[in-house]
Amino acid sequence: MTNVEGAGGNGSPPLVVLERITKRFPGVLANDEVDLELRRGEVHALIGENGAGKSTLMRVLYGMYPADGGRIVVRGQEAKIGSPRDAIALGIGMVHQHFVLVDPFTVTENIILGEEGGAVLDVDAARQRVAELAESYAFRVDPRAVVEDLSVGEEQRVEILKALYRGVEILILDEPTAVLTPNETKDLFGNLRKLREAGRTIVFISHKLDEVMEIADRITVLRRGRVVGETRPAETSKAELAEMMVGRPVLFRLEKPRIEIGDPVLRVEGLTGEGKLNGIDLEVRAGEILGVAGVEGNGQRELAESLIGLRTPASGTIELEGTSIAGRSVFDIRNVGVGYIPEDRHEQGLVLNMTLWENAILGRQDDEEFSGTLGVLFIKKIKELAARLVKLFDIRARSVDVTASTLSGGNQQKLILARELETDPRLLIAAQPTRGLDVGAIEFVWKQILEQKAAGRAVLLISAELDEIYALSDRIVTLYEGKITGEFPPDAPPEAIGVGMLGGAKEAVA
Amino acid sequence: MATEGLAAPVAVAKQRSSWAETLVGQLLALLASLGIALLAGSVLIVAYGESPATVYSSILDASMGSADGIGYVLAIATPLIFSALAVAVCFKGGLFNIGVEGQYLVAMVTAAWAEIELGFLPGPILVVVVLLAAMLGGMIWAAVPGILKVKTGAHEVVTTIMMNQIAISLVAWALNFPLKFSNAPPGQNVDLRTDQFPEGGLVGDIGQYFGVTPGAHLSWLLFLAIAAAVIVWFMMRRTRLGYESRAVGSSPGSAKAGGVAIGSTQLRLFLISGALAGLVGMQQILADRGYLPQNYVVFLGFTGIAVAFLGQNNPIGIIFAAILWGVLSRGEVALQIESEVPREFIIILQGILILSVVITYQIAKRRLAARQLQRAGAAGELDDSAGPDESGGPRGPEIGGREAFEAVEGSGT
Repeated sequence: MTNVEGAGGNGSPPLVVLERITKRFPGVLANDEVDLELRRGEVHALIGENGAGKSTLMRVLYGMYPADGGRIVVRGQEAKIGSPRDAIALGIGMVHQHFVLVDPFTVTENIILGEEGGAVLDVDAARQRVAELAESYAFRVDPRAVVEDLSVGEEQRVEILKALYRGVEILILDEPTAVLTPNETKDLFGNLRKLREAGRTIVFISHKLDEVMEIADRITVLRRGRVVGETRPAETSKAELAEMMVGRPVLFRLEKPRIEIGDPVLRVEGLTGEGKLNGIDLEVRAGEILGVAGVEGNGQRELAESLIGLRTPASGTIELEGTSIAGRSVFDIRNVGVGYIPEDRHEQGLVLNMTLWENAILGRQDDEEFSGTLGVLFIKKIKELAARLVKLFDIRARSVDVTASTLSGGNQQKLILARELETDPRLLIAAQPTRGLDVGAIEFVWKQILEQKAAGRAVLLISAELDEIYALSDRIVTLYEGKITGEFPPDAPPEAIGVGMLGGAKEAVA
Repeated sequence: MATEGLAAPVAVAKQRSSWAETLVGQLLALLASLGIALLAGSVLIVAYGESPATVYSSILDASMGSADGIGYVLAIATPLIFSALAVAVCFKGGLFNIGVEGQYLVAMVTAAWAEIELGFLPGPILVVVVLLAAMLGGMIWAAVPGILKVKTGAHEVVTTIMMNQIAISLVAWALNFPLKFSNAPPGQNVDLRTDQFPEGGLVGDIGQYFGVTPGAHLSWLLFLAIAAAVIVWFMMRRTRLGYESRAVGSSPGSAKAGGVAIGSTQLRLFLISGALAGLVGMQQILADRGYLPQNYVVFLGFTGIAVAFLGQNNPIGIIFAAILWGVLSRGEVALQIESEVPREFIIILQGILILSVVITYQIAKRRLAARQLQRAGAAGELDDSAGPDESGGPRGPEIGGREAFEAVEGSGT
């Protein structure tokens, strides 16, 4: 561990010192004697895999969990932080991954909620203050807007403003970019830089290494509840950080299997529907991974859902190996050999309160293998399948009888992959397959997708992460406002693809 | 994730513990809520200047103190088991069938019609036909909101409530016109009712075999109810329909993406629910009265919602919950005879019981979740939020705004 003296600014005494913080949960040591120093005016990145204890540590600091050991010193004085209220009184605020806003309220009403000051609301004055606050840190948000009309990025700004309104000096952001588009991330970083200039301290919890390298002044790496390193972006590299996080070298570029690209498997022409799809033409061939790049909200979800049969297209053709599947039911489309990794694994992937074995056959419950003519399930066979998948995909679970909700995000995604690949689909639709996963799990998912290619299957990869598109695709198309705006070879410069993502490159560059 | 060796081998055989644990947890929760209800009830009893010990022991004595008492309790429980099962079947699929009330009223009419029109059939066949007619009546009445739900999205709570109102009028119409008694006792001003059903069309009294007075009208419908509970359990846990229903009920999006036809699943649930609801009124007209009277017992459908809730929509739990409900209801008699406490006390007690069940089940659920979490943690799959991904792990203390709303909305379905 390298301790960098005076990093991140003026070398003043640390604002917050966490000393030997230990936090146990039943059966797991979430934080094991963790030391951490936060200085005034720095962006301090806290990185690690899911389960490394990043959020837990910060929740201890924010007073949400009592620590089982260690102490917290704020501005030179030992602090007892028993609740978020105490934390805010000490100038410590936290923005969670899941926002807690009242939808029908305006931005201002949300921000002053709990801080109204008196029985009669002076909304005008409050709005004035909110507007000034927003302006001083370049937050683009309308104090009069109603929260339910806001985008996710805007809601996040409201959450941050809520903390700032309470005079917070140390702002903890728990994976703030997980829900943002690339542009919103850029905006957020602009805001964070302003905050840093104003002397505020930001704790940036993340596992996205590119972002950490871009925004952080100092980086602390946690693994399995312990600090395994502290460094600065200038002194390290993504590869080194990833290795620290995971405990072994991580490949950022996986070897793409060389395989002959075969006949078209999926052919889409003029796919139109519900205002979000405006005439999409696509072709994915056997042994090919087609990457669909684009800023989210440009029809990605609608495209994936139309292909698997969750939406009925208004017009256009969808052919799987020459057979039309447009407008057919999900059941039929799955049966002809399409696998689907949904972008939202809770909404469309798993039934969280059902067991792993029950989830393992979702979509195949009608197979002769799993249920008889009277509809009686062959539970023993299903459990055998589930146990096999759990082993094959290294899904960490106590047994196949636990509910899917007890799995971590990475293991849930593995379960979906295992289920979808088990049937050996001719076409795999993978929508945002690594969203919210950590480095190790991403690598696993990528390998599985590449294996599909190696087996001569067609893969349609829809992703908002350019890294992912580059890592896997044989061919890249950009999606903008429901249209394909460009087609690129896998080695096209990101700038060119960026133009396509914004609708610029009407004519194919390839 | 995949940093260290393979996960511990997954034991398929080690499956029993978790559901047994759930069962024990629910049982303890039920006992605890019963305790709370009795305690709160004691306060009321004392306010009436009576002794809780005396009142409770007289309730217990009246319900469980004798073969007769038990017979009465089980006879009360019989229709409630059907009714609660009807509610639970829909509930598992994310549907709230408030219409069991109307469905059983209509079923009583169709059953009475079969009794009168097909009375020439030999006994056992007649009974079977009558029961089928009742189930069909319930199904027809449940099909309407089911189809409306699937085809138009009309919310089943609204439509079933309306169907209940129509059902009341339908019974009144049937009693006034097609099923009106043909020969009233001469010179007497009798209530509206149907003719007496043929002797062979009634269900036999089984109380005699257990030394229960015929006055309890304990019938083999009780066994039918228990069989129905077992069948419902099997259907929900061991068949494709149950599997798909539970998937639809807990995560419609995932079910749909898994190729489940949501509409047809929901419609089938409504039909099954209606068939069960159809049997609710049979204890009354086939075992108790022998005809369909104007002053038929109402609210069995609504009580079924409470019983389903007490039994946590678990078919086996529902049997016990219905019996518990029967004990309390039977206690009313004891109160009237042996104390100054008004009979409404029982209703209050039942209300408090429901409330405390809400609380204790929530606590039990959290405890169970924490245990699951502990094991999850031991297996090393713990997520960063110190709770499994996005699930009911320990929540932060700050629940506000949207989360609060979602919590409220989510509890409904």
